[in-house]
Amino acid sequence: MRLTLRALISHGRVARRMGLGPESRINMLRNILTGLVRHERIETTRVRADEVQFYAEKLIDYAKKGDTNEKSMKMADFWLTEKDLIPKLFKVLAPRFENQPSGYTRMARLPNRENLDRAAMAVIEYKGNPFPPLFPVKQDNELNLVNQLLKGYREEQAQLSATESKS
Amino acid sequence: MACGRACLILQRRLATSAAAERVSAAEVRSWRSTLFSKEQERQRSLYPRIEKIEVTMQGAGVQGTLLVMNKGLSTPYSCSRHLTDWHVSSAALALVDGEPWHLHRPLTRSCSLTLLTFKDANPQLPNQAYWRSCAALLGQVLEGAFKEEYNVELLRIPEVPVTAGAFCCDFVLDPQLDAWIPTEESLRSFTRDANQLIHQNLPWEPLEVAPPVALEIFSHSRCKQEEVEEKAAQSPNGTVSLYRCGHHVVLAGGPLVGRTGLCSQYEVTALHTVGEGPWGLQRRAQGLSLPVNLTAHHTVWRRLKQRAEKLVEIDSSVASETETTPTSSEATSSSSQP
Repeated sequence: MRLTLRALISHGRVARRMGLGPESRINMLRNILTGLVRHERIETTRVRADEVQFYAEKLIDYAKKGDTNEKSMKMADFWLTEKDLIPKLFKVLAPRFENQPSGYTRMARLPNRENLDRAAMAVIEYKGNPFPPLFPVKQDNELNLVNQLLKGYREEQAQLSATESKS
Repeated sequence: MACGRACLILQRRLATSAAAERVSAAEVRSWRSTLFSKEQERQRSLYPRIEKIEVTMQGAGVQGTLLVMNKGLSTPYSCSRHLTDWHVSSAALALVDGEPWHLHRPLTRSCSLTLLTFKDANPQLPNQAYWRSCAALLGQVLEGAFKEEYNVELLRIPEVPVTAGAFCCDFVLDPQLDAWIPTEESLRSFTRDANQLIHQNLPWEPLEVAPPVALEIFSHSRCKQEEVEEKAAQSPNGTVSLYRCGHHVVLAGGPLVGRTGLCSQYEVTALHTVGEGPWGLQRRAQGLSLPVNLTAHHTVWRRLKQRAEKLVEIDSSVASETETTPTSSEATSSSSQP
């Protein structure tokens, strides 16, 4: 190959390099994906979470095709190193996302790790998991003044519409 | 000619004596205010030496804090000033040993204190106190709004639940004004007066008095004296609670909030004529208000205001907070439970 400066400058290159090489990168992502399928919410570095998000969604797409599909079974077998998760993938995760076309995972950024490396961390999860939400919705108290006034207003509107529909 | 002069002098004499019989509203106000101050001084002089009491704070973040305060002098407001600025500005009402206590009422014994805000998990007590305070403010505005020659008689503040949509103040005007129908301009001027009072951020000063003192304070108004007797009969220890804001003394069935500055959106929405009562043509002024940290968007405010313009019917049998329907039969409260 031509030993130009282009090979050294990585402007615009989108493919990430992780670990020792491409095979090492795939193995790392395989381990992370197995952990994600087992626990449904994991905490890793931001870059790894971003990489695994693509593979996690592709895996669900394959699982939706059904476990009788040859290709899907081969994919599941390759990507999940712990083989007891293959039935979980086909029987629990795939039916959960039946009606969704895409967007099965959610990633949220976390503060940097406390170690010396101060790595940027993220949490990635499959949607519909049983844990408390990552972004809790702040509910206004039902009993505060504005809500009580609005409750009275709504009840009156309901009464008025009921009397109107009767007459 | 001399006869004409004599007539004039007689007329003048009669006119002055007639004017002297009718005490002007300003004089009534200053009379009540001076008597209130005297009673306040007398109650304060019951504690000549400063004795210390221990107040245990309760609530999120300040659980178990022990404050050493002065007996008969320190109020829950001063306790909150020992904590943080947020506690001072957000506290609406206090709970002393489980009893609702006005923020500026002096503490008399070692107790546990909880400061209540409008954003608690259960803000029903502060909500009710706020509604009562807004009604008292409306009464104060109405008393000072009319010209000196017209007499305004404020009746009791009815206990309206918050879900009814508006707080009410019943009052009776001078018989000369029986034919007067309030216009939008007059309602707006009432709102302006109320906003001025809110801007001045006047505190409500509480005072627990024995019925004879209260009867003396309200000696110019027969209906207020009747109200005092009723309240004295209902209260457990025979005292009547009075509140003073600025120069206006008001009688309330329960605790009010600390200061007028706690209200932010305040609007006098309607003035209805209820009917002939024992004191004259009874009118009901209604208003809507929201506190400082719970303001509503203008679209929501407009709809709530439209609802507040409708007449609020007060059922004489209302004890719990139930919704009053507009089509129910009207019955003015004669003995409503606070």
